[in-house]
Amino acid sequence: MTARQRLVIGGGLVALMFASVASLAFGAVAVSPGRIVAALTGSADGPDATIVADVRLPRTLLAVIVGAALGLAGALLQGALANPLAAPDVVGVTAGAAFGAVAILLLAPASSALLPAAALGGGLVAAALVVLAAAPGPRGGGVGGVRIILAGIAVGALFTAATTAVMVWRSDRAPAAVVWLAGGLTGRGWEHLEMAAPYMLVGTVAAGLLARPLDLLALGDDLAGALGVRASLVRVAATAAAAVLAAAAAAVAGLLGFLGLVVPHIARLAGGPGHRYLLVASAVLGAAVLVAADTVARTALAPSELPVGVLTVALGVPFFLHLLRRHA
Amino acid sequence: MTALGSPTRRRPAPSRLGASPVLDVHGLVVRLGGVDVVRGAALRVDAGQLVAVVGPNGAGKSTLLRAAAGLIRPKQGAVTWNGSPASQLGTRELARLRAFVPQEPRLPDGLTVTDAVMAGRAPHLGLLARPGRRDHDAVSTAMRRAGVDGFATRAVSTLSGGERRRVLIALALAQQAPAILADEPTAHLDLGAALEIAWLLRSLADEGCAIACVLHDLDLACAIADQIIVLHRGEVAAAGAPGEVIDPGLMRAVWEVEAHITIHHGRPRLVALGPRRPEKP
Repeated sequence: MTARQRLVIGGGLVALMFASVASLAFGAVAVSPGRIVAALTGSADGPDATIVADVRLPRTLLAVIVGAALGLAGALLQGALANPLAAPDVVGVTAGAAFGAVAILLLAPASSALLPAAALGGGLVAAALVVLAAAPGPRGGGVGGVRIILAGIAVGALFTAATTAVMVWRSDRAPAAVVWLAGGLTGRGWEHLEMAAPYMLVGTVAAGLLARPLDLLALGDDLAGALGVRASLVRVAATAAAAVLAAAAAAVAGLLGFLGLVVPHIARLAGGPGHRYLLVASAVLGAAVLVAADTVARTALAPSELPVGVLTVALGVPFFLHLLRRHA
Repeated sequence: MTALGSPTRRRPAPSRLGASPVLDVHGLVVRLGGVDVVRGAALRVDAGQLVAVVGPNGAGKSTLLRAAAGLIRPKQGAVTWNGSPASQLGTRELARLRAFVPQEPRLPDGLTVTDAVMAGRAPHLGLLARPGRRDHDAVSTAMRRAGVDGFATRAVSTLSGGERRRVLIALALAQQAPAILADEPTAHLDLGAALEIAWLLRSLADEGCAIACVLHDLDLACAIADQIIVLHRGEVAAAGAPGEVIDPGLMRAVWEVEAHITIHHGRPRLVALGPRRPEKP
């Protein structure tokens, strides 16, 4: 890793720390840093300590892991598919998760406790269909990036059509679906964190193991193969790991797919190539951006909350375009 | 040194009698997109030997080389590396036996020369292991040998075509494999850069490396190769030392050109006269 890359990661960690403190401190009740420490160590009582420890802490931690997971998923997909437009949306995960969630919200609103599980299941089923469709057929051949993207767009269209059908059929209840689709962390707590964490862990470990193979894949399939890496296998493994991360993120935070597209680009423009760097930086920057955006979403127009998905786009796009212009 | 004279040989090529080949390919059939692109080709490369694979466009040269390298699976035939069938070797094991220099790989923006060459150490590194002293030594030796140590920290994307090709050869050298297979290593290069690459490959062979390369330029192939394999429509039309293989009849039959062959420093040189004349009845 170059000095510049270490600097980007260090800067990202500092930003994440500040955003996390702000996220714990600000809201309907402002809490001082001293009280935050006291609340986190369990040495304080009172309503402010309860708010920090039971409401803001799980939500902040969830923003950290969801942001990190989306950044990682995007970096994995852009590396594996050699396509700068690759993001969780492109491999059908987002559309699958949306269908799972909307089906519960509109068809079985009584069992809304099942919503995260349904979204996770929908996302994973969609990703599995994509991987199966793109896998080498009886005639052999490799799994190219374009093949995965085309399969992803097709499967995504299928799930989006199913979501639309459900929303048209139960248009009386559609507003609930619209709110979920916009994405956000409103009212999320420890149970969501517990549900998503294992998948995030699996996806993160897989990402770590894929760092060097992805660097070799960036040299082209022939050179990667000559250096002992099976290009098709790496591509499928990275797609699967990204799908697990993105599906778990969608299950607890709705659709925030844009983060997965832009954050890896920011990391690449700021620090250059190399997946050991790109994966770590995308995770750290993704977490920092989502924690910051969620804090602003909660506090800017308090007591009403802005949709954080809209806010991440509003914050991310100008910064991204600025970097893009500078490096053109 | 005159252009296309024979490069100075540091030592005579080792005798091929009784030597076991580093790479031995025979009866190779490769099917791509429903067509047999290579039909029963053979290729043998010994240590210290440079074998050039030549032939017209679409003859199956690159396909033969890629199948020999284990990058595409042949439909039939045997590929043997140091006596072991390639089908029984793992991809990483194979990566320690042969390096492959692709024609024009895409390289990520911002990738430095050193980082690119370090990729050649992948077959020697565990999935999570960091490069150690031996890897750094191998990389700097390879960069010096290929003449890219002067711009080690530059981004590969800022280099000229010839420099980039030398970086790819340095990457292959960092692999420290006993054989190098190169697919058109001089394509799209100017004369000076092409000769530099060709002479580098020749001297690597003289140092004991087994080298097979696909070449478009017949004069260049004749200048540096110990053996020439002429592929025509997926089959070996001729094989042997350059002087035994290249003659006007072969040029007419395979390339469909009328050519005059002269001998320069004991190696054939080609003067193309024009497209093949229609046969008189």
